[in-house]
Amino acid sequence: MTAYLIATLTVVAIAALVGLALNLQWGMGGLVNFGLFGFYMLGAYIAGLLTVQGAPPLVALAVAMIGVAALSAVSALISVRLSEDYLAIVTLGFAECLRLVISYEGWLTRGMLGVTGIERPFQNLWPRGFADIGFLAIALFAVLIVYATLQGLARSPFGRLVRATRDDPGVVEALGKSVLNVRVRVFAVGGAILGLAGGLHAFYYTYIDPTQFGPIITAYAFMAVVVGGRGSNRGVLVSAFTLIFLLEGSRFLVDYVHGLGASELAAIRLFIVGVGLVVLLIFKPDGFGREPRSTLAAKSSSSL
Amino acid sequence: MGQLLVNGIVAGLLLALPALALSLTFSVLRFANYAIGSYLTCGAYLVYIGNVVLGMPLWLAAGAGAILFAVLAVAIDWLAYRPLRDRSGVTLLVASMGVAIALENVIRFFAGNSPRAYDVAVARPIRLGDVRLNHEQLTILMVVIVALAVVWIVFRFTRLGRMMRAVADNPDLAAVRGITRSRVVACVWLISGILVALSGVLVGLDANIEPQMGWTYLLPVFTATILGGIANPMAAVAGALTLGIAEEFATLVMPVHYRMIVTFLVMVALLLLRPWGLFGTRWVTK
Repeated sequence: MTAYLIATLTVVAIAALVGLALNLQWGMGGLVNFGLFGFYMLGAYIAGLLTVQGAPPLVALAVAMIGVAALSAVSALISVRLSEDYLAIVTLGFAECLRLVISYEGWLTRGMLGVTGIERPFQNLWPRGFADIGFLAIALFAVLIVYATLQGLARSPFGRLVRATRDDPGVVEALGKSVLNVRVRVFAVGGAILGLAGGLHAFYYTYIDPTQFGPIITAYAFMAVVVGGRGSNRGVLVSAFTLIFLLEGSRFLVDYVHGLGASELAAIRLFIVGVGLVVLLIFKPDGFGREPRSTLAAKSSSSL
Repeated sequence: MGQLLVNGIVAGLLLALPALALSLTFSVLRFANYAIGSYLTCGAYLVYIGNVVLGMPLWLAAGAGAILFAVLAVAIDWLAYRPLRDRSGVTLLVASMGVAIALENVIRFFAGNSPRAYDVAVARPIRLGDVRLNHEQLTILMVVIVALAVVWIVFRFTRLGRMMRAVADNPDLAAVRGITRSRVVACVWLISGILVALSGVLVGLDANIEPQMGWTYLLPVFTATILGGIANPMAAVAGALTLGIAEEFATLVMPVHYRMIVTFLVMVALLLLRPWGLFGTRWVTK
């Protein structure tokens, strides 16, 4: 049971990172990224392949973050000057193509066979039998650092600028700021976090193959952000550690409910996520959290 | 060469119906429906129920399934999209992704992940010189051309078509002239529902019926629609044909499994150079 709890918590911590990244891109920046899982997958593969080649895990993780950030910036550049619909489809297309390349270019990625024997960071530090707890600590530490960074960013002048480009790009443009520049930077920072999350995924499972990465990662992240309240990092953390925890935790039901296989259970879980997204967007569009520094704006707009 | 062209045209026609449907809903609602892939899958499975489970002949099952799915599309619009109509476009995008996830997993729950096929007789391909055309391709050719002709006639020559074009052009002006928007929207969903369900059947004939089938069509359908200029329904058909032929000829230099990458490259080039589409006008840039 403890082992099960630790495993679920680790998965949830990684999902929380993805949620935080999406919260920066979509919640604060208004940029829809439907290709989250592709960027995450890229992070996992960069970190995994470099580690297998003998690079120290932390270096591999850093390279993964930089690489995914760079590619996020490029994919944003293709379409940021167009409306949101286009960015959404470009990110989705990018993710699908990346999955194809990783599946078929076996000389580089070992294709469907997957990459095995990925080394975890600090894995010799923990006493025998405590490796998973140790890794959970690392993952939670990463969540903490990312959370603190994003909170700092949200309260900084840059954070205000990001929210302003989301709410009214015209005004930002008129004030002499470059909307394009802001959006590309937001996408790059979000990409770095996705690279980190993907790298942790590779370290945690120590084995990666293309089937591990699918739209479910994207679905969870959107759920976390919609429930937590767009723009609220705290809300995203809370929703990740409650909602995604429950959803992930439901895996054990396979052993208890007869006639319900793992794939049926996965279908039910995702069905709930899909319907939940629509219902929340209709009835509780602001989620349950609150964006920092949004009270003043809310007051002034309600007095109008 | 001739074979590649024929295959390309058939692939393009397969894309034409969903691209037309996507562009129809976009032109009237200004909303890019990301659930269109799941719609396609859903239509294909509904027809599968009629054809294989209930034992209807395929044409009957396809007709019944398409109408049933069209009603479903209107219902989904009522339940999910209508309450969000006044919100920002981004909200609708995410909602449509939610709809897509939900639909696809209903299918996965009941039908499982294994691929299925319609109950049709296997027939020998027809040879015309050195070009081979199999029966599925012939069916695709005929169904798509008839469907396109019908939509074109409705769009061009009927009262409903005029109303649809009026709402697409300027909803406020259309409302002033006494056109009920909600009724036009319902009709648009009915038409695009029928088109998408039919294309689901055709894709199922051409390949297999599986929960992922629509998902793999999402990117090509969007690319075809953007190629035509996204709010221009009939141009979407031209976009679909262009893309289908381009994909087929790209197999000369790229492995077949990288079709999607060809599509993606076409889209990227398009968004960088001519985001208003090959045939569209320049309003879309922001």
